[in-house]
Order: sequence, then C-alpha cells, then structure tokens
Amino acid sequence: MEIRCWRSCLIAVAMFLTASGAAQSKPLSERVVAYQIEGAYNPKTHTLDATEVLTYTNRTGTTLDKFPFHLYLNAFQPKSSWMTEAERGGERDSETGAGWDDKHFGSNEVKSLEILGSGGEAAKDVTKQMKFVSPDDGNADDRTVFEIALPKPLPPNERVQFRIHFVAKFPEVLARTGYKRDFLMAGQWFPKVGVWWNGGWNCHQFHASTEFFADFGTFDVKLTLPAKWNVGSSGVQSGAKDNGNGTQTVSFHAEDVHDVAWTADPSTKVVEDSIELSGGTVKIRMLMQSGHMASAPRYLQALKGTMRKFDEWIGPYPYPQITVVDPPHGGGAAGGMEYPTLITAGTAWWMPKSMLEPESVVEHEFGHQYWYGMVATNEFEDAWMDEGINQYMEAKIMDALYGRDTSSVNSRLGTLGERGMDRLSYVPLADRDPLSRPAWLFLDGGSYGSTTYSKTALMMLTLESLVGEKAVLHGLRVYFDRYKFKHPRPEDFTATMNEAVGQDLDWYWKQSIYGTDTLDDRILSASSERRDWYSKQDEKKGVTVYRDEVVVLRRGNFALPVVLEAKFDDGSTVRERWDGMDSWHRFTWERKAKLVSAEVDPDHGYLLDRDPFNNSWTEKADRRASGKLAGYWTLLTQWLEQALSWLA
Amino acid sequence: MNGSVRSSAGLVWRHQRLMWWIFAVNLVIAWLSSLSTRATLSAVLDHSMESAKLVTGFDVGTLALLLERPDVSARTLAPGAAGAALIFLVYLLFIDGGALTVFLEDRELSRAEFFENAGLFFWRMVRLALYSAAAFGLLMAAGGEISGYAGTLSSDAPQERLGFFVNVAGKVVIVIATLWVRMWFDLAQVWVVRENEYKIIRGLARSLRVALRSGKLFASYVGIGWFAVVTFGAGVGVWVYLPHAAMGRSFLVLELVTITQIASRLWMKAASARWVALLPLAAALPVTPVDETYAPALEVTDVRLPEPE
Repeated sequence: MEIRCWRSCLIAVAMFLTASGAAQSKPLSERVVAYQIEGAYNPKTHTLDATEVLTYTNRTGTTLDKFPFHLYLNAFQPKSSWMTEAERGGERDSETGAGWDDKHFGSNEVKSLEILGSGGEAAKDVTKQMKFVSPDDGNADDRTVFEIALPKPLPPNERVQFRIHFVAKFPEVLARTGYKRDFLMAGQWFPKVGVWWNGGWNCHQFHASTEFFADFGTFDVKLTLPAKWNVGSSGVQSGAKDNGNGTQTVSFHAEDVHDVAWTADPSTKVVEDSIELSGGTVKIRMLMQSGHMASAPRYLQALKGTMRKFDEWIGPYPYPQITVVDPPHGGGAAGGMEYPTLITAGTAWWMPKSMLEPESVVEHEFGHQYWYGMVATNEFEDAWMDEGINQYMEAKIMDALYGRDTSSVNSRLGTLGERGMDRLSYVPLADRDPLSRPAWLFLDGGSYGSTTYSKTALMMLTLESLVGEKAVLHGLRVYFDRYKFKHPRPEDFTATMNEAVGQDLDWYWKQSIYGTDTLDDRILSASSERRDWYSKQDEKKGVTVYRDEVVVLRRGNFALPVVLEAKFDDGSTVRERWDGMDSWHRFTWERKAKLVSAEVDPDHGYLLDRDPFNNSWTEKADRRASGKLAGYWTLLTQWLEQALSWLA
Repeated sequence: MNGSVRSSAGLVWRHQRLMWWIFAVNLVIAWLSSLSTRATLSAVLDHSMESAKLVTGFDVGTLALLLERPDVSARTLAPGAAGAALIFLVYLLFIDGGALTVFLEDRELSRAEFFENAGLFFWRMVRLALYSAAAFGLLMAAGGEISGYAGTLSSDAPQERLGFFVNVAGKVVIVIATLWVRMWFDLAQVWVVRENEYKIIRGLARSLRVALRSGKLFASYVGIGWFAVVTFGAGVGVWVYLPHAAMGRSFLVLELVTITQIASRLWMKAASARWVALLPLAAALPVTPVDETYAPALEVTDVRLPEPE
C-alpha cells in the first residue's frame, strides 16, 4: 500500500512538473489549467472510461475554497434543463416537441474525485462531497454542474490538483457531440472546471441555447481506440502506438487553448495541406467522408481564403495546425461547430456549387478560432460577442471571396448574399430580445439565433456606414490584440471600439446592444408644388419655381442620423442630413425643378432597417417588378389549378 | 389501333377548341384571383427603388423580405390561389360531360348540346371526383410513408445514397399507380357518359374490369405522361436561361408549358374515350335495357280553361 502510495505521489509530482510548462514554448496565455487525460473508448457501448488530472493555478488574487465543474454530457437526459428547454423552445438540431428518444441519452459520471496532495500528503477522496447545483434555474434534476469544497483553501498563486475518474457515455449525435454508426465526435466530454471571472465563479448549467466558457491552459490527452481508426483532435498529435490487440493509443497535446475535442472514424479519408501565414506555416488536416470528397476542394478554398483574410485584417493565427472534420450523413448535428484548433464542417453528396453552405460553415467555424478561441468571451452570458462578431466577419469574408450578392446562393434562378441572409433572419424577430440577454433567457431558439448572430452582424455592418469600414476593422484588430487569451466583457469591447474609432459611440451601443428598438425610416411623402400656386400661368420647365418637399418618418424607435438623397428633373442631386432624433423631419427646397426621386440611406448601409421598400420614392412609377411578380403569381395559380384539376 | 396515342392525339387536335377554352378559363381565373395581389405589389414596389433588384437579376433576399411583409405574405396570398384552383376544378367537372361526348362521338357539338351534356353529367362527375380524391389521398399517404422511410435510411443506413434511391424508386411506383388510378377513373367517366350510368359504384366496378384488361391504354397514359414531363422540363429549362428582365419571353414560354400540360390531360381523356368507344361489342359490358312498356300515369288530351267570370 505504502509503495503504491509513493509511486502515485511520484507520478503526480512528475505530472505536476510537466503541467507547469517546463517543456513548453513561451506561453501565449495565463495557463490557469493543465489537463492530463487518459482514457479508453469502447465503440460498442459508446463510452469512454478515463482518468483526468487537472492542475489548477490560482491566479485570481483571492483565496479559493470551492471549485465548480461542468459535466456537459449530463444535459442529455430527460429531466435536464437542456432537454426541457429544447423540447419547449427548440434548439439547433431539434424542433419544439421533438420528444425524448433513448438513443439521445448521454452522461458524464464521476466515479471518483480526489484532491491530490503535495509534499508527501495523501490524496483525499472527496467523491461523496460532490454537490450538484443549478445556479440558473434551480432545477434539482439538472446535473450539469457540481461543486466541491476544498479541504484546505487555496491561497493565491498556489496550485491544486484534482484526479477525476469518469465515464463519459456519448449520445447518438445531438447538439454537437455523439456518435453516428462508427463515427464519434467527442465534444464537451470531460469534467471541466468553471472560470473565476469578475470576482466570482462563473459556471452556468448547460442550456439548449448556450455554449461554453473555460480557462486557458495546456492539454495532454491519451486515448486508446480501435486500431486503424482515423483520429482527429485539437492541438497536434504527439504520439501513436499500435497496441497489437486491435487497439491503438493516440496522444495529442494542445497549449494556450481552453478546450479540446476529438473525433474518430474508421472510414474517413485524410486530406492534408498547409498554408503560409504571417505567423508561419500552418498545417491543415481534413478528415473527409468518402462520399463527400467533392466538397474537399471547396472546404480547402474557403478555409485558406478565410485564414488569409483573418491574418490580414485581424491578426496572426498562432497555432501550428487546424483540423477540419466532415461529419457523416445522419451526423449533421456534429457539424458546424468550433473547438480550439478543430472545427466541424457540413456538406452533402448532392450539394451543388451554387449553394455555398460548405464554404460558409468552414469560414464561420474558423472565424471562431479568433472570436471564442483566442478572445474567449463568456458564451453563456455574452453570446453575441463571439457568434455575432464572427457572423459579421463571415459576411465580410464571404463577400470578399465569393461576391457581395452571391456569397450564399449563386445560381441562374437567383442570387443571395450573406447580408441578405442575415437580414432575412433578423427582420421577423427584430424586436424580441436584446443582444445583452444571457443566452438561456431568450424567448426561444429562433430569437436567440436571429438576435445573437444576425442582429449583431447587421449592427456591425450598419456601424460601418456611420464610421467607415476601415475604422470598424481597425477597432476589431485593436480589440483582438488587447483581449486575445483573455475573457473580455461587453464594456471592454465597446470601450475599445470607441477608443479605436475615435468617437463616443455609447449612444449606438445603448440602442443596438442593450435595447430592442427597431430601425425603420421611411419616406412618408414627397411632392413638388408651384410656389406661385395662386398663379393662372402655365408651368414652364426651368422657369417655374417649385417648393419640393420630402417628409421622412422614423417608424421604429431606433434613432440613427439620416442621410437623404433627392434628385430633380434638372439633373441635380442633393444630399442632406438629419440627426434622426425627432419622430419625423421635413426636407424642403425651392428651385426651378421638380423632385423625381428621394431616398434615405442612399448608400444602403443601414442594414438594421427592417423595411427597405419604404426607404425610397420615385415620382414615376416603374411597374416592371410588380408586373413581373404578379405575372409569376398568376402562373403559379394556373399551375395550382392544373394540379387540383387532376381530380377532374 | 384502339386508344392509340396517335389517334387520341388526332382527336384532341380536331377538337382543339376545347383545349383553348380550358386554357383561357385557366388563365382568366388565375388572373382575376391575382388582381388584389397585383394591387398590393404595386403599392409596395412601383415607386420604390428597391424593386430594381427584382427586375434585372433576381435577388432572393429582396423577394423574401418582400414576402415578410404581412400584406404580401404567402399566408395572405394563398387563399386567393386556393380559391381559384377550386373554381377551375368545378369548371372542369362541369364541362367533362360535354368534352367526353365530343370525344366519344368525335364530332363538334353545338353550344346547346355541349352544355346540355355538361349539366346532365355534372353531379356524377363530382361524385367520381370525390371517390378519386380518396384513392389519390391513399396514394399520397403511401408516398409520405416512402419519404419518411427514405429519410430514415438517408440518416441511418451505411450507404449514404441508399435513401435517395429508395425514395426515387418508391416515388416512381407511386407515380405509375397514380397514372393507373387516373386511367381507371377516366374510363369510369367515359362509361358514365356513354351509358348514362347513374350508379357510380357500379360504373366504377365495371370500368375497373375494363382497366384491368387495358394494358395498351395504360401504355398510352405512360407515354402521354412522359410527354407532359419532358415538355415541362424543356420549357422550364428554356426559361431558366432567359434573361431575368425578359419578362415577355418568360411568360410566353411558361404559358406554352401550361398549354402542353392542359393538352396532355385532354389527350389522356381522349385516349380513354377512344378505347371505350372502339371496344369490340363482345367485350362491351351489358347496357341497361330501356323499359318500352312504360306509359305515363296521366295522359292529358283535353284541357279546359275555366270560364272568366
């Protein structure tokens, strides 16, 4: 017993020293955590039996006496908050009322939890002291967060080690993680410590519309899996060994990240490439389904284009590798997700080139390497800061790579750009929730998606028309430089943008981030009347003086300065500005010309405007569009008549 | 050749007035039902610069934003279209009797004759349509089951495309079954007109026996169906390559497609009429005998009007 105890202590000390970064490159982050995880995956039961040693360095400046941990996989149980919310309000992979299916059961069961001693002290088994808590909604059946009190408080700058033996049971793929046939995407698979943030522990329950938040550090993972399975992971692979008994053991290492995920599949094809960026060569490793190889060049083109744009506009990508995982058919719920240095994409065998879905998914998930991966905002409370800012970058980069009006759909039948897509998502739900609302408190999954992603993107694009595109990108670059490998708050973002742009934009942030007011400026009326209305003389072009008038009404309560462009029948054009504060404004001119057109936001930059159709007025009616659409509607009605006449 | 594709095509061609009338009514009903849509679209688009995105090129986002407006949404517009479809169906059921008489007798009818036959058989055509709706409903439900199963295969089967192929194969079977059911009910319609049959169930039973022995007629239906699909595909294919702003040409091409669909349906009816009309007498089903001993209960020979007071 004694010898075993000493051996354990020696191993723990060795791990401790390794975790301290003795063999690492210069740290990019504070490295609060060091995880060493060793496990074996059973593909028949879809379980992973593993032991985790977490070394936590107290950089909080406060003495800590308890620690909260996430057990995300416990969300996939009938009574959890996640399941209940998904059933009621829907979530990204299931609709409201989808019902419970046993195949979606998942769990993260802690078999034992020990606090390892140092300096010869014995490990303390504190398994029985684990206490499940539900700080957000009081749901006693939710087991996604537990707390453990330390037997001895941890002073600042000291370290504590936890050894956790756990068994992760993966669900059939749901909400980013799980298996489908032999494919496994292991996300949020290990007990993860909460974040000390803003003077307290921040460790929310897992909700249907929330993502994740964790501290930076190092990860060393060793997994035993069936032999000949292709494995992809965060970080870089540091070892692989065939055990000779039908299994292999793969190790990987990641530093200055806050999470690791991994995937395994016996039938994927590996596509490798590399790219030269300002930070050096980055290896690209893609694990493709054999039926999706036609999408591999599409993924690669989008990825490289995105990496170059981020490198140019925002800052260097500091990691040596990026892994792209292509989920199999039926496993789409694992797609469209980001982990540090690993992203999951999504395509189908029939995906036409005119639909740029594979490209936009790769762009978006790589973008998260910056907004989430390095600028690690709190995705529970401030989801817009990673999803929304990233969605803005998606619009910019997809437009740059694939054309402004063709970056989502580019076919003979019609075209659609990213901005158009965001507007379509935003307009119907524009007044439901503010950006600043915690993710689990949104009205429903639809409002969360529309507000967090699209409204934020449109907010940033509208900001471009106020201060200029260069100023916004400069602001983001400064924000990235300042807050990479940190956990900024909304105030940090807005203050940085104000500083970088050189203007106090608080009036804008107040409305766009913290409010639900909507923007809808419309031309209420436009007219040209003779100034000498009493005169009996005929009007004469170029001689008669007119009083030209345009009234702009601010329908929504969101107030932005208004630029109005008016054109006259003598060929002249004027632009005038109104501060947008009052509920309406009258623009008037007296000149020897009549109005032919008037338009608010003539540069079409106010993408937050809910109704672009009422932004302009033309004196002469152009019936081509209404005639065309009415004609097609007539035709569709004819075909509907024909279809029903099948009964005759 | 009984009910051959060519002879029935000739029947439709000789009596093409029917086709043009049906097309005209189809167009007029659709146009009338879309008048309010036109007015709404005009109010939104005619004086708005945003409408340009829908003329040259076709911005899907702009169209979708337009449809987000409550006054232009599909929910607002759909009832008008559905109503138009219902009116057109009733119209076709009304003229079916007249049209089938034309095909059976292969002669032009006077207006009075046409509408007399139309009115005589209208309710029987309605009843047949209701029975056919039940049959087609069952086929649609079967199609839905196939789609559901194919979807499960697409997600769960090891071979990614298996679900797609099962769906296609299943739908082909459903389409063939639908064509056969349509042929059966067309034969029933012709039978009702030719025999002045009032008992619909009996008419359906007898036409079912004919349908089961009408392989060549069914082959004609499949051929005509293929024609309809190919002309539809060709027409839409031409339309896709027309410039977005070429509205006149677009409508012309698509209206030609509509005409071919109407012609194809008439062609099928003509084939059934031809088939029944030219069946050998031995294969013909017994005709209900006329009771010649019937005499009216009252024979009025002398009418005396009351004397004025």
